[in-house]
Amino acid sequence: MSTLDSAPDAGQKIIRIVGFLCNWCSYGGADTAGVCRFKQPTDLRIIRIPCTGRMDPLFAARALIKGADGVLVSGCHPRDCHYAVGNFYARRRLELLKHFLPFMGFDERRFRYTWVSASEGQIWQKVVTEFSEQIHQLGPNPGVEKQPRTCDA
Amino acid sequence: MTTTDIEQLHKLMEDALPELEALIGWQPGYDALHAAPAIARTPEEASRLVFNPFCIHNLARTVAKTPPPPAKEGEAPKKIGVCVKGCDSRSIIALIQEGFLKREQLYIIGIPCKGTIDLRRLMKLAGEDLRAGVKSARIEGDSLVVEGAKGSRSFPLEKVLARRCMRCKYPNPVIYDVMAGDPVIPRASEEEAHKDVDAVENLPVAERLAFWQGELDRCIRCYACRNACPLCMCQDRCIAETRDPKWLPQYMGLSEKFIFHFIHAMHLAGRCTECGECERVCPQEIPVTLIKEKLNRITKELLDYEAGVSTEAVPPFLTFNPEELGI
Repeated sequence: MSTLDSAPDAGQKIIRIVGFLCNWCSYGGADTAGVCRFKQPTDLRIIRIPCTGRMDPLFAARALIKGADGVLVSGCHPRDCHYAVGNFYARRRLELLKHFLPFMGFDERRFRYTWVSASEGQIWQKVVTEFSEQIHQLGPNPGVEKQPRTCDA
Repeated sequence: MTTTDIEQLHKLMEDALPELEALIGWQPGYDALHAAPAIARTPEEASRLVFNPFCIHNLARTVAKTPPPPAKEGEAPKKIGVCVKGCDSRSIIALIQEGFLKREQLYIIGIPCKGTIDLRRLMKLAGEDLRAGVKSARIEGDSLVVEGAKGSRSFPLEKVLARRCMRCKYPNPVIYDVMAGDPVIPRASEEEAHKDVDAVENLPVAERLAFWQGELDRCIRCYACRNACPLCMCQDRCIAETRDPKWLPQYMGLSEKFIFHFIHAMHLAGRCTECGECERVCPQEIPVTLIKEKLNRITKELLDYEAGVSTEAVPPFLTFNPEELGI
């Protein structure tokens, strides 16, 4: 945990994890964790999506290609989707992506999807802490560029 | 295809033509090593159609992009005829599954296929010999025999067939109204069909990234692979080109190339029938189909689904199953 508690040393690359959270469950779960003042790592940048059914696997792929160090997707538990079936679709697509990323040369441990409901603040804390630790062990994402970009397009 | 077969094919075409709006097939190209898609409306035009190992184009795409003219009042709409190889027939099935084509509007002439020639492989092997003056080319047993200006040359098939044909499991059309010729024995088994995917998977993850960096770095984003794909239906609304949403800038970095190929691949997940057109048309010789082969293998392993086999099946990513656990 020490790496998470202290500010990054000078020269050490800041780890950035992109989180895609469904508005109805996991975003609420993260909020619950915050309200309950559970200590959480600060590497996660949360993007709120209406439902994991909105989650295009390309969002995660693009984030990883563009150099995000990890991508975490979280939504309502299957059968508890606010829109009844959104996460059933998401489940298949995200599972596909998880198996596909290593083929293209991305470490599969940089991508995870999980289900956390709005009341599960403690579970959220556990998920995000574990994932963040895993990404810290992996270190920064090397990305796909072979040399530094001359312009940031 | 032997002489009797081509006669049989012409007979089938002749019989069907009066009932058809048009018949889509292949005609000879500018020399014996080339063929081109053609649309025949009269018996004379139909008599010019051919089938040989140089009929490399997937005509499913031509059908999908040729909307049938509106039927005359009081008359049933005429069907569109189309000649298909095994791979083309699977694309047709996929298009029917997704509602882009209607089965009852098609008259499908199935042609068992012994493989198509990869002209780039052939030319590399033959050198300058086949640049001009080619009189004829045919498959004899396990080799391709080309009568050129400097006499006859023979090439072993495994050295000149397209990669998609070397790993073909469906040489015989899966869907057809009539079949021209006898069924062909598939060239590859289930395991052999994926040996190129295995070759990449046997590399450590970091080397796989290096492999794709090397391959995709050559991409010039000409979008030929997308344009040749019979199942890429967005066309001018393709998110690789739209400004809203803007997925890709004009900048030609490796990450843009990766994102484009991810878009192309993910949009074909559970739909691609591995006809190999994307790879054939790639001017940079990037193994584009390999990406889809992996996706198809995942789909097969996770969801036990194969695209382009049944018109009744629903593509797996357009549906769900609440019962599946661990996914």
